[in-house]
Amino acid sequence: MLFSIRSVLPGASLAMALAGAGFAAHAQETVQMGAVLSLTGANATVGEDVRRAVGLAVDKVNEQGGVLGRKFAVVIEDSGGNPTTALNAARKLVSVDKVPVVIGEYSSGITLPMAQYLVKEGVTHINIASTSVKIKDLGATAFNLIGLENLGNRFSAADTWALGYRKVAMIAPNNAYGQGVAHGFKEEFEKLGGQVVTEVLYTAGQSTYRRELQQMSRSNPDAYIYTAYGQESAVLNREAFELGLRKAPWYAILLSMSLSDTPAEIAKGQLGMEVGSVYGDAGKAYAAAFAAKYKEGMKTSYTGYAYDAVMMTAAAINKAKSTQPAAVQAALKEVGKGYVGVTGPITFDADRQRIDPPYAKLKYDGKVVPR
Amino acid sequence: MSDFLISSFTIAGIYALMALGLNLQAGWSGLLNFGHIAFAGLGAYATGIVIQAGGSGWTGALVGVGLAMALGWAVARLGRQLGSDYWGIATLAIAEILRTVATNEGWLTGGAQGISAIPSLFDGLPRPWNAVAFLALVLAVVAVAALALRRVANGRFGRALRLMREEPQLAACMGYDLKSLKTRAIMAGAAVTALAGSLYAHYMSFAGPDYMVASETFLIWTMVMIGGLGNTAGVLVGVLLVQAAYSAVPFAKDFFGFGSDLAGALRLGLIGLILLACLLWRSEGLIPEKLRKIPA
Amino acid sequence: MLQFLVDTALRASDLALIALGLSMVYGLVKFPNIAHVQYAMLGAYLTFFLRAAGVPLVGAILLSCAVTGLFTLAMHLLVFRRLLRSGPAIAMIGSLAVAMLIVAALQGVAGSFPRMFDLPLSAPHEFADARITTTQLLTVGTTGLLLVGFSLLLFFTRAGRAMRALASNRALADASGLNAERITRVVNFGSGAVAGLGGSMLALSTGAHLNLGHDLLLPVFAAAILGGLGNPLGAVAGGLLIALTETVVTNLNFGFLFGKPVAFLPVAYIGAASFLILLLALLFKPYGLFDRQVRRV
Repeated sequence: MLFSIRSVLPGASLAMALAGAGFAAHAQETVQMGAVLSLTGANATVGEDVRRAVGLAVDKVNEQGGVLGRKFAVVIEDSGGNPTTALNAARKLVSVDKVPVVIGEYSSGITLPMAQYLVKEGVTHINIASTSVKIKDLGATAFNLIGLENLGNRFSAADTWALGYRKVAMIAPNNAYGQGVAHGFKEEFEKLGGQVVTEVLYTAGQSTYRRELQQMSRSNPDAYIYTAYGQESAVLNREAFELGLRKAPWYAILLSMSLSDTPAEIAKGQLGMEVGSVYGDAGKAYAAAFAAKYKEGMKTSYTGYAYDAVMMTAAAINKAKSTQPAAVQAALKEVGKGYVGVTGPITFDADRQRIDPPYAKLKYDGKVVPR
Repeated sequence: MSDFLISSFTIAGIYALMALGLNLQAGWSGLLNFGHIAFAGLGAYATGIVIQAGGSGWTGALVGVGLAMALGWAVARLGRQLGSDYWGIATLAIAEILRTVATNEGWLTGGAQGISAIPSLFDGLPRPWNAVAFLALVLAVVAVAALALRRVANGRFGRALRLMREEPQLAACMGYDLKSLKTRAIMAGAAVTALAGSLYAHYMSFAGPDYMVASETFLIWTMVMIGGLGNTAGVLVGVLLVQAAYSAVPFAKDFFGFGSDLAGALRLGLIGLILLACLLWRSEGLIPEKLRKIPA
Repeated sequence: MLQFLVDTALRASDLALIALGLSMVYGLVKFPNIAHVQYAMLGAYLTFFLRAAGVPLVGAILLSCAVTGLFTLAMHLLVFRRLLRSGPAIAMIGSLAVAMLIVAALQGVAGSFPRMFDLPLSAPHEFADARITTTQLLTVGTTGLLLVGFSLLLFFTRAGRAMRALASNRALADASGLNAERITRVVNFGSGAVAGLGGSMLALSTGAHLNLGHDLLLPVFAAAILGGLGNPLGAVAGGLLIALTETVVTNLNFGFLFGKPVAFLPVAYIGAASFLILLLALLFKPYGLFDRQVRRV
């Protein structure tokens, strides 16, 4: 009986070793970093958008002479929209591709476990899209480029109060991100004197949200505050329209994410806020280059952060003159002192969090535009 | 690269434990348990919750095993005259209910984002050796479980189970309490699987609701059926084959350069194809069960 | 109140046709076909692609039903007939493999991103406090018509009688001169076509996505089992019961218990509610709610 296991074992391991060896040889000529993006699943639109930004950044770096005199590449892995696949992807990046820096993912519920693993392995993690406040406490090798939801919620609460809403109903995804936004927004809104009459956390991946919407409508709110991932948001928005709920105003936290897959006629008239997308001259140049390469503009606000993260990593590796994780980390701290990114000036504080991340007030009028 | 191999074998070992647990129920007792992964999920979550509450890994594993055995007992008692295929669907429903609870009761299970930062065992050891030590532990547990289960299979209990599977009325006539046999088989399978779940939680440093999706049970079923339903060594071969196919796909993806959707489809399709081919042409599996034949 | 009825009807019509198909075929082949819900998903994707290729919606749906029916027939002839020789358990596991293959094929061809039908947007019709869109009206109407037609077929035609005879006692029916194999083939085709129709209509509102089949698995099986596997109209009644439970559970306002104006059970638990009903039914009436057969105790 044991004989048959032994006969299979060497065969399987030999096959894998050969594949890996061929693979490793290829990796020597390029300097690599890693990215875990949601290329499949509910957030595939965002993942693809960010992948384009990463591609643009890689081209720019190689145009400028590459890194340490060699070609620069980003190994992109799919998170599949769930933490287990993301963890496996991160594991592959760390143990097979041996990258010093990994950026990603998108949803806080996926970024948190993945980043914790990366920190445990001593690899640098740069957060480019997740907003849970727990990102701040990830650890010594975790950097963050985007505004976390404590700042975001304060911004949204002030904005919605200023728009005149006093009694609102909220819906958000039932995960780290959604729970953080729902509770945080409620806290900030109630501080201003408002009331969140219904708070619904929807489970991702359902094909209908009618029941959730009906539960929310029962409380007759002044406005509906929502945040939802692209494809689910498309269903949510359409069903809200079909249930006649669009007679009340709809405000989206992270507007471009929530509307990334919603058809224009349904999205019309929505208001919202978003993390700042592009800033200043560097931002404008980036937006133009993006449109030139991909024949269409950016669909979401996260691309700039990914672009900045890749450029900063390349700069850090060059500065450190090495791809050892510890050296790259130290160099990244140095690079992050007044770096001019496409999302604005980037300076890290003592906890490697970005100081004064940008936010924007927006509305949908054919596309997402500033208010 | 060696890191990746160590990792693949560790995961194969953990799945092997789960497959052995399923083999006890489906292979020897003929019980179509389609909610098998719930036992592993209980093990993983018990470990996570106990550690978060300040307990030790051992306590967590014990609690997990205990909970899984309780669930196994309940599931076995379900339905007096329930036909085997109906019972299979009921077990699927129970696993889905548990997964829904895990996704929604954030105060207990961390909700959709699960419980993270579970300490990996052997964290004190330097980098390559902690993984090797973990692999050694997993392989040791698999070896002990496989040998123990083989002893059981060849003993009275195993023979009674096989009799129950083939000729339940004869077994009842001979004085076996079918209910009790069924219950004991499921509880034993549940215990082994919960242990695997605990090990998985330590390995990934994470316990989440997507550990309990139905497709995980189907994956383990495939491993058991391909290798040989009812045969311990067959099950282990099945696990290695399926795990090899599963791990080869990301490399093929990088080598041939196709997209992640296709890679995911290929993984699933490969497993389905192998299972179907096995069922059509060799339904006993690669290493069929050895039944003693009494000479005529 | 009216919205409550509308919601129940909508959810019931989502499940009815697919549960009907499942039950119909079970009566003849006697194994639960897990791949059946994936046929519905296949129908949905086919409709989407046909429409994207320019075929008008109704034609696309009809064509995709026919293709799905043919596919079901092919699966029966090539796979399940052989596997059934080894017993229903092996056939059930085989249906699991077929389900995986269908999902894998669709993921490879269509990608994992859901495909929404871009139907013309129109404001919903309002009746008292209920709102329903044209598409939803058409869906429920079509389902209802089909159910009526099927009942007429089953109880008032020779073909229907033959089906019922075959389902209750195959050997006797065969011996009485009914061509069991031919009827089985026709029923397979029919159940596949009906599943494809159900899936296509469901996809009109939710889009064709890879989880369409899996999300339907437990509710459809619950409906079919509640009605008694092999009793197609019972499956429809089972579907109605499941829809009713889901709607009641999510609309009950528990606010009075918590002192708040509104408090509802999280919607995620409605799946659990249907499964609990299924479990209870299996415990007390394992052969379905409408079971009248005398069995040995």
